[in-house]
Amino acid sequence: MKYKLIHKTEYKYAQAVNNYHSLLCLTPRTLNNQSCKDFSIEVTPKPSELVSRTDFYGNTVHYFSLHSPHKTLTVLTKGIVERFQESTGSLFMPSEISCATVRHRVQNDRSLKISLIEFMLPSPSVKWDREIVGYASDCFQESRPLYECVQALCRKIYTEFDFVPDFTTVNTPIKEVLHARKGVCQDFSHLAIACIRSFGFAARYVSGYLETLPPPGKQKLQGSDASHAWISVFIPDYGWCDFDPTNNVVPGERHITTAWGRDYTDVPPLKGIIFSYGKHTLKVEVDVIPV
Amino acid sequence: MLTEASVNLLESYTSGLSSYDEVLDLNGVIKPHWKALFGTIEKLGIGELNSRNQEIVSKLRENGVTYNVYGTPDGMNRPWQLDPIPFLIEQKEWNAIAKGLEQRAVLLDLMLKDLYGPRNLVKDGIIPAELVFDNTGFFRPCTDVKLPANQQLILFAADMARGPDGQMWIVDNRTQAPSGSGYTLENRVVMSKLLPELAQGMYVSKLSPYFNSLQNTVLRLSDKSKDAPNIVYLTPGPNNEAYFEHAYLASYLGYTLAQGDDLLVRNGCVWLKSIDGLQKVDVIVRRIDDDWCDPLELREDSQLGVPGLLQAIRMGHVQVLNAPGTSVLENHAFLAFMENICQYFLKEKLIMPSVATWWCGHAKELSYVLENIDELIIKKANRKTRFRSIYGRLLTSIEKEDLKRMIEAAPHEFIAQQEVSLSTTPSLIDGNIEPRYAVLRAFMVADGNGYHVMQGGLTRSSAVKDRFVISNQYGGFSKDTWIVSDKTVDTQEKVTLITPASVNKHVSLPSRSAENLFWVGRYCERTMAVIKFMNITINVLNLDRNFGGSAKQEHIKVLLQALTHLSSTYPGFLDETEDKFQDPYKEVIDMISNISRAGSVASNIGSFLNAVGAVRNQWDLEIWRIVDLIDKGFHSIRNASSMNSTNIQKTLDGLFNNMFTFLGVIAESMPRDNSFLLLETGKLIERILSRISVIQSNFGVKNAPAVENELIEATLINHHLLVNYRQIYKSHLSVEAMLDMVLLEKKLPYSLAYMLDELKKNLGHLPTTTRGERLNEAEKFVLKASTLIKLADIADLSKSNRNSEREELFDLLSEVARLISSVSTTLNNMYFSHTLMHHSFFDPADYDTDEI
Repeated sequence: MKYKLIHKTEYKYAQAVNNYHSLLCLTPRTLNNQSCKDFSIEVTPKPSELVSRTDFYGNTVHYFSLHSPHKTLTVLTKGIVERFQESTGSLFMPSEISCATVRHRVQNDRSLKISLIEFMLPSPSVKWDREIVGYASDCFQESRPLYECVQALCRKIYTEFDFVPDFTTVNTPIKEVLHARKGVCQDFSHLAIACIRSFGFAARYVSGYLETLPPPGKQKLQGSDASHAWISVFIPDYGWCDFDPTNNVVPGERHITTAWGRDYTDVPPLKGIIFSYGKHTLKVEVDVIPV
Repeated sequence: MLTEASVNLLESYTSGLSSYDEVLDLNGVIKPHWKALFGTIEKLGIGELNSRNQEIVSKLRENGVTYNVYGTPDGMNRPWQLDPIPFLIEQKEWNAIAKGLEQRAVLLDLMLKDLYGPRNLVKDGIIPAELVFDNTGFFRPCTDVKLPANQQLILFAADMARGPDGQMWIVDNRTQAPSGSGYTLENRVVMSKLLPELAQGMYVSKLSPYFNSLQNTVLRLSDKSKDAPNIVYLTPGPNNEAYFEHAYLASYLGYTLAQGDDLLVRNGCVWLKSIDGLQKVDVIVRRIDDDWCDPLELREDSQLGVPGLLQAIRMGHVQVLNAPGTSVLENHAFLAFMENICQYFLKEKLIMPSVATWWCGHAKELSYVLENIDELIIKKANRKTRFRSIYGRLLTSIEKEDLKRMIEAAPHEFIAQQEVSLSTTPSLIDGNIEPRYAVLRAFMVADGNGYHVMQGGLTRSSAVKDRFVISNQYGGFSKDTWIVSDKTVDTQEKVTLITPASVNKHVSLPSRSAENLFWVGRYCERTMAVIKFMNITINVLNLDRNFGGSAKQEHIKVLLQALTHLSSTYPGFLDETEDKFQDPYKEVIDMISNISRAGSVASNIGSFLNAVGAVRNQWDLEIWRIVDLIDKGFHSIRNASSMNSTNIQKTLDGLFNNMFTFLGVIAESMPRDNSFLLLETGKLIERILSRISVIQSNFGVKNAPAVENELIEATLINHHLLVNYRQIYKSHLSVEAMLDMVLLEKKLPYSLAYMLDELKKNLGHLPTTTRGERLNEAEKFVLKASTLIKLADIADLSKSNRNSEREELFDLLSEVARLISSVSTTLNNMYFSHTLMHHSFFDPADYDTDEI
């Protein structure tokens, strides 16, 4: 599938902001199953420079700063993204490698372990305890294929949790989400990652977009698509396999990847430091339009 | 020849030893330089040594040398403790130690480059991957934050202790922003001033080559195209425990002391906000820890750092040392792998061993640790985990099992260390020389090719016997450390300073310092104004009470209410619900001593001392001496409620005189630069406002002639004018004559006309952003105020209306006060507007609305 991607973020400040420093993590990654053309970032008011850099995980990050008073800030990104069929084939032929085998192979292959370790250890937003292990214990069995276990976990989260916007923030701890049984994609991804890591496997956080389908018979509304987050699990011989616990699907052509890291804190789409008092409001519009 | 007595002193010391000591070598023979030192102490006499010790204590206090201790009742500003008996190491031994230290620095530098680069140490299995990826000092945004130099580790300090085999061991590494070199320098300065005789017959190596080497390294890192690089010493601020040292070193090295929000990143460069506008910064020597450096990419809640700093470093427009990210090396677990790392990089053995350390992440080490837990200290590998070291031997068997379970749950998070064995060293304890455990911190700086090791260091020693608590935060004292030899060593390297082609004669004043100086002036004058008028009032009160009057007399009431107005301690004597005139002392004492009451003398002095402390690097030693006296007065007036009125007045007089001296020393010694101008401006603004307040209170309403006479006299004293007035008008007291003098007389320093002229002059010299000869807003306000006063008709001002109000006088003075207050606001906008805080909106609460 080929999409036109438009992502517009608008900040409005009650009081003028004089200085602003920002990092953007919004550029779709170039991958075996994804390409991106004509990508552009338009910031208003126009900063004197927009510096790009590749971060520790290979994601493209842009930095800019503003130094004149402004009450509105808009960041508009556009690009043409093409998603190809899954090249690993995991969508149709799930991996059969059992949890025990995965564990054994990772422990005994040093270079593999080195490349995976930071996705196996706790990270700033992903920590676990017995309760979290307990939550996932019926999904993981040593003799069962890891792929199936992760699928079972995603299904469990999908069925037992309600998608409720505004209940959580980016700082809500996983445990609170677990107790409330509600949250958004980011919370479900963090919870899934914590469960998977707690059983000794490598999982990372993927940030991107999802094309939404309008209700049957209705026209799709402008700005109705969204930024999204899901997870990726390492399975020997297959590599990193994506799972979407929020929608209980294996990400396919409708998922567009921008970045990955240990958890959300490694790859927030936009972050900034302002010099001002007073409140601000935020409006985000995302369009993933098939072309 | 040693005297009989000296043998005795040494003998009595050595006979009291219970473990190995610095004085003895491995064979139990007394080391020659210690023998010499004891000989000198003997000649000096232990009594004299003790009295010198007292001098050292007061000298350090006078110089304002402090090490702040968090969470103690005394709070901040604990005086620095220095033992008059130095720690001695013989030059030859030191040379060997220095080799070991250099090797360690080289090794850590190689590690730093590898960990933020190819990570071959991990790939080749020299260290476990957890040491990098589970290391809270490993900052992923710092992988491309580098200095344009061969060496990345510029400043390094190592803590050492002597083991029972006589060898020095490395106990700990400090690689981010090592502290202590400033205290080391100050220790040496104080020792050489107050105990010069101690070094008799020995040659003590100098510390200055280390600092020269540091200056050279910093210059090499700065912009080569610039003659006078702008170098900033970045401090977390006056609340940091080592703030004294930051200010001290900044001024010793000649760098600008700044806090995070004095700096700003724009167009990829770092700028210093100064009252002359933005100044580009070339090099930053930082004293803030890694994670606080940049809220944009590191800890987002940091108010200490500079947003965008990492990006500015990446773009090469500023150099920061040590580069952010160096805390990766401070992880305790590396000590377990140093021998292997040394083999790996240098193909040689470690010259100086580290304290035996086990990382629990490997099965074999884990089981060793669990089995031998009684002899070990358990720590977390990562620092800053709020985990206090646990001594296995001190645990009950239940606690031990708990600890074991905790380790087994996450073994890679823990390390175990052999309990460090320390040597004792002679220390002056309660007037006697006694053995105490000691640890030595050594300092190194990269010098392009290798590392320069300071010929000396900071010895810290325990205040209690047979126990050692290393951290300064928990008491203990320091010692000057002498590298000694019998003759001068020519080989001792001398560092020649690279001198820039030209020097920058204009030093720009950071906005924050500017603001603090302004407030030093204001608080100083505000306190003095209140004390002065309070003393006048108390005198009148005493006179009246002792000679048969009643405190309810009208003039006393006016004066007491004027005091409330002047100090803004409302409701005070204006309180109509309570008759405070019956016993006015109670309220006066509260007005003096109640530190939590805004406007009280105590609270004003507190604010004054804070402002003085915040610009510590501005002051000479002479000024510190006065500040110390004011600080003492500050502590005594807080107990004013337990003093009699004579003592209160004495203390207030003392404070007033000391503050007057403070202004005097400043007037006589401070360079006439922007710092001085701002302090003067603050002082004048406050002086004008306070004098206006008193005139308004005393003469706003016309009183009976007898009452007015008392008020005229009080006002004249308050303006330092009584003598002058009497010379002219003899004993005739008239409101008109007094007003003429205090408002218009141009040659009297406390008349309004004079003060307004001075203020105008000052403002004219401050940097201005307005074009050419145009007046700025502040100057316009003063011009207007000065004109209003000078055009005033004294006869009209003296008149009162039907209600006995001197309306014209009151309104004129109100307008002048309003104008002068506006000057203060304008200055704030012109020079100090940096105080706007930044904050992160990393997490807009409503962000999730559009996510699914």
